[in-house]
Amino acid sequence: MDSLIARALDTAAARGASYADARMVETAQERYSVRTGVVDVISSDESLGIGVRVVVDGAWGFASTNTMTAESVDQAAALAVEIAKASATSGGPKVELGPPVTSRGMYTTPVEIDPFNVSPQEKVALLLDVDERMGRVEGISARTGNLIFIRERKAFANSEGADVEQTIYEAGGGIQATAVGNGEVQRRSYPNSMGRQQGCSGWEFVRDFDLAGNAERVASEAVALLTADRCPSDITTTLIIGGSQVGLQIHESCGHAIELDRVLGSEAAYAGTSFLTTEKLRNFNYGSEQVNITADSVRLPGLGSFGFDDEGVPAQSTPIVEGGRFVGYLMSRETAATLGLESNGTMRASSWNRLPLIRMTNVSLEPGEWALDDLIADTDEGIFIDTNRSWSIDDRRYNFQFGTEVGYEIKNGKLGRLLRNCTYTGITPEFWNSCDAVCNANHWTMWGTPNCGKGQPGQLGHTGHGASPARFRNVRVGVMR
Amino acid sequence: MIGEDSALALLERALSLSTAEQTDIYLSSQDLGLTRFAGNAIHQNVSHSNVTLNIRAVEGQRLGRATTNDTSDDGIRRAMEAARRNALLMPEDPAFPGLPEPQDAPRVASWDESAAACSPLTRAQMVGEVCRQGAAEGLDTAGACRTGVQEIAVVSSRGVRAYHAGTFAGLIITTRSDTSAGWAKGGSWQLDEIDYPALASEAVDKAVRGRNPQPITPGEYTVVLDHYAVDDILEALSLYGMGAQAVQEGRSWMCGIQGTRAMSESVSVWDDGGSPDGWPMPFDVEGMPRRRVELVENGVVNTPVHNTYTAAQDGVESTGHQAYFVGPPIASNLFMRAGDKTVEQLIGSTERGLYITRFFYTRLSHNRGCVMTGMTRDGTFLIENGEIQHPVKDLRFTQSYVDALNGVEGVGDEAKLVLNEVGFATRVPALKLGSFNFTGVTV
Repeated sequence: MDSLIARALDTAAARGASYADARMVETAQERYSVRTGVVDVISSDESLGIGVRVVVDGAWGFASTNTMTAESVDQAAALAVEIAKASATSGGPKVELGPPVTSRGMYTTPVEIDPFNVSPQEKVALLLDVDERMGRVEGISARTGNLIFIRERKAFANSEGADVEQTIYEAGGGIQATAVGNGEVQRRSYPNSMGRQQGCSGWEFVRDFDLAGNAERVASEAVALLTADRCPSDITTTLIIGGSQVGLQIHESCGHAIELDRVLGSEAAYAGTSFLTTEKLRNFNYGSEQVNITADSVRLPGLGSFGFDDEGVPAQSTPIVEGGRFVGYLMSRETAATLGLESNGTMRASSWNRLPLIRMTNVSLEPGEWALDDLIADTDEGIFIDTNRSWSIDDRRYNFQFGTEVGYEIKNGKLGRLLRNCTYTGITPEFWNSCDAVCNANHWTMWGTPNCGKGQPGQLGHTGHGASPARFRNVRVGVMR
Repeated sequence: MIGEDSALALLERALSLSTAEQTDIYLSSQDLGLTRFAGNAIHQNVSHSNVTLNIRAVEGQRLGRATTNDTSDDGIRRAMEAARRNALLMPEDPAFPGLPEPQDAPRVASWDESAAACSPLTRAQMVGEVCRQGAAEGLDTAGACRTGVQEIAVVSSRGVRAYHAGTFAGLIITTRSDTSAGWAKGGSWQLDEIDYPALASEAVDKAVRGRNPQPITPGEYTVVLDHYAVDDILEALSLYGMGAQAVQEGRSWMCGIQGTRAMSESVSVWDDGGSPDGWPMPFDVEGMPRRRVELVENGVVNTPVHNTYTAAQDGVESTGHQAYFVGPPIASNLFMRAGDKTVEQLIGSTERGLYITRFFYTRLSHNRGCVMTGMTRDGTFLIENGEIQHPVKDLRFTQSYVDALNGVEGVGDEAKLVLNEVGFATRVPALKLGSFNFTGVTV
C-alpha cells in the first residue's frame, strides 16, 4: 500500500472515522483534433491527487488534495472527518455498508499496442489524411477529426483491508463532416456521433476503425442529406434502429433507470429519479421476451471495464432484464444494503477529487438471432435509422425523444430513399415491449459513451453499451417543427 | 486559496521554465465545498481544492498545449516541454494570429468573505432549514448547497498579466410529494444573496400546489415561463450559435438572420463578464478583457462573441470569450432586459395557457432556428381566464427558441441570476410567449 494512502486511513481512524477509504489517481491524457485542415488541438494533460472518504457518526465526509505530502494528506483526512460530523447533524439514516470489502489484487487493461508508445506524428498524420479525404467532397463546410488516449493509474485501500491497484487504458477517435445549404445543416459521423467511439483498449482499437476508408463516404452522406426527403411527419411505423443508436437508447432509458441511487432519490434534484422503483424488481415487464440486458464490467473493450470499482468491489456481471423481466439494479455497497443485497461493483469517480457514484458499467442488449439483411427483408414498411443526433428523456426516464443523423425508408423488405431529420419518441416500457427482433452477434458492437453527466459537483462518466440493430413496432416518428 | 501574489509568482516561475518562442499559462484554481441532501438529510458532503496550469506554447504559427496540476519545477518543466513538443508536431497554420498583446481588464467586485469562509456546518444549517420546511408539508427534499472560491490568472511571454478571484454560493432545491415536485435555485457571488428560507418556501409551494396533476393534450399553448426556463433558452442560444466559430462554419442559428429583427422588440440580450450583477469574470483564458457584446438588440440579431482566433478570421478584435482552455468562444455571462410585468400579471393576462417552472434535458433537434426538444419539470400548471386552474403532467416540447422569442407578449419586471456549476450565468426575467409547441406528455 502506498504510504500516503496508509497515512490517510490512519489519520481518519485516529480522528474517529468508523470507516475510511483513500484513492490515489494519476491520469495521463493525450488529445488530438483537426478541424477543416488545421491541427486544432494537440494537448498532453496530467493530473494527480488523492481523495479520502470517511464515515463518522454514521454520516459521510469526503475531501481531497493535489498536494502529495504527508501534511496535506493529513489535512484532507481531517477535513473529511470534520465534514462527516457536519453531515451527521442533519439526521437521517445511518450509513450501512453491508459486508466488508477486503479485495486485494492488481488489474491492467489488456492492450495490444500501448497508445502512449505510438508516435504523435503517426496520430497527427492519420487525422490530417482523413481530413484531406473528407475535403475532397464538395459542399462540406466543416470537417473534424479527433483522437484521445487515456491512462489512469489508481490505488485504493480501505479500513476493512482492501488494497488494490489498477491501470486502465482508453482509446478513442472519430470523424464528422458538416454540410450547410438548402436551408439545412446536416452532419454525418463515424464510427459514432458525439465526437468519437471509445473503448478500454490500446491503439489497435482506433487503428481498426479505418477512418481513412470511411472519410469520403461520411462526407458524401452529409452532402446528400441536404437534399434528401424529410422524414415523414408524425406517423406511427416500424423502426429498425442501428446498433449505435440502440446503444444510446439503452444508456438513457435503461442504464440510468437502473441506478439504485436515482431510484432511492439521491439524484432527485439534479439528474432525476427513476420509474423502476424497488417494488418492480423481479415483478415488472420492462420489455418483450426478445429483450435481455446485462450489466458487466468484464467485457472489453467496453468503457465500463475494470478490475475493481472505486469501493474495491471486484468486477462482475449482473443480469438486468431477462426475457423482458426486470431483475437487477446497478448498486453501491450502501444502496444494496437498503435492499438486503450486496454491491455489484458499479461505484466509480471521474477523478481523485470526486466522490464515487453509481455509474453504468457495460449495460448491453444481448444479441438475438436475426441477420440484418433478413430483418430488413422481413419488414414490409418502416424506416431504418442510425447514428444519434439529439437525445432527451424526462427525469424519471419515461418519455424520450431521439433524433438520428440518417434514415432510410423500408418498402417491401428493401431499403429505399434517404431521409433527413428523423426523430422518434416514446415511453420507455411501451417502447421496449414493442421490440420484436434483435440482430445477432455478427452485428453486435460494444459502443462507448465517454460523456455521461451525473452528480454534483459534476462528473463525466465513461460507459459501455453492447448492441446490435433491433426492430420496434408502432413507434411515433417524425416529431419536428 | 492561492492569492494574487502567489498565483502570479507561480506563473512567472512557470514562464521562466519555457523554451518556446511564445508561451501563455492560464491558472485555474478552485476551493469547493458542496453539501448534497436527499430524503430530508445530507447524503454527500465534499471538499476539494485543485490548481491546474494550462499551457500554450507557440513555435512559428503552431500552438501546442499541455495541462498539469503538479506545480513543482519538475512538473511544470515536463508540461512545458510537452506543450512545445506538441507545437512542433503541427503544420504551420497561416490563420493563427499569435498570442494576444496584453490589454487591461477592469477589476470587478466579486469577493465575499462569508462565501469564501463558509464552513460545512454553515451549509448544514442552511440545508437543515430547507429540509424542515419540506418535512413540515410532508415533502421529500433534495438538493445541493455549494460555496467556494474560484481564482484565475493568465501570464504570457507577450506581457499579459491578469488575476481575478471570485467567490460563489449556490443552493438548488427539489421538493417532491408522491405526485408532484417543486424547484428553486439561487446563486450569487455573495452568500447573503442566498435567501434560503425564501427559496425553500418557493420550492415547497410549487410541490404543494402541484399535487395530483391532470393529463393535458399536447399542442400549441401560450406559456408563462419562470426565469429558470428562460435561463434554459439563453443557454441553448449561446451553446448553439452565439459563438463566432459556429457562425463561421454556418451552423449557428444566427446564420442568415444577422441584422434582421427575428425576435420581438422587447427582447434584448447581451453578454457582460464585467458586470457585478452577474457572476463576474473580467477576462478570458487568453487574458483578454471580456467586452460587453450586444447579441440581440430590440429583437435584431447582432454579432457573435469571439476569441483571438475567430476574431482574426473576421478581421475584428477578440471580445474576450475564450471561456475554456480548449473549444470555441462562448457567451457565458448573459443578460436579458427586464420588462414591466409581475409574474402574476403575466398569468393574469393569459386566457388559456401553461405556467412552467423550468425545462429539463433540452437538446438541439435542428440548428436552423435553434429547434430544441425537452421536458417541463418541477411544477407545470394550466392557466385559464387569467388564473392557475390546476397542475398538469409534464409535457415534451419541440420548439424553435428563436421563433418562441419572436412571440413575446410580456416580460417580467425582475431579472434574476441563475448560476450553474461550471461558471455559466444568466440574469433573466420571466416571459410570456404567445405560442409554444408541445409534442408529447409523460406518464
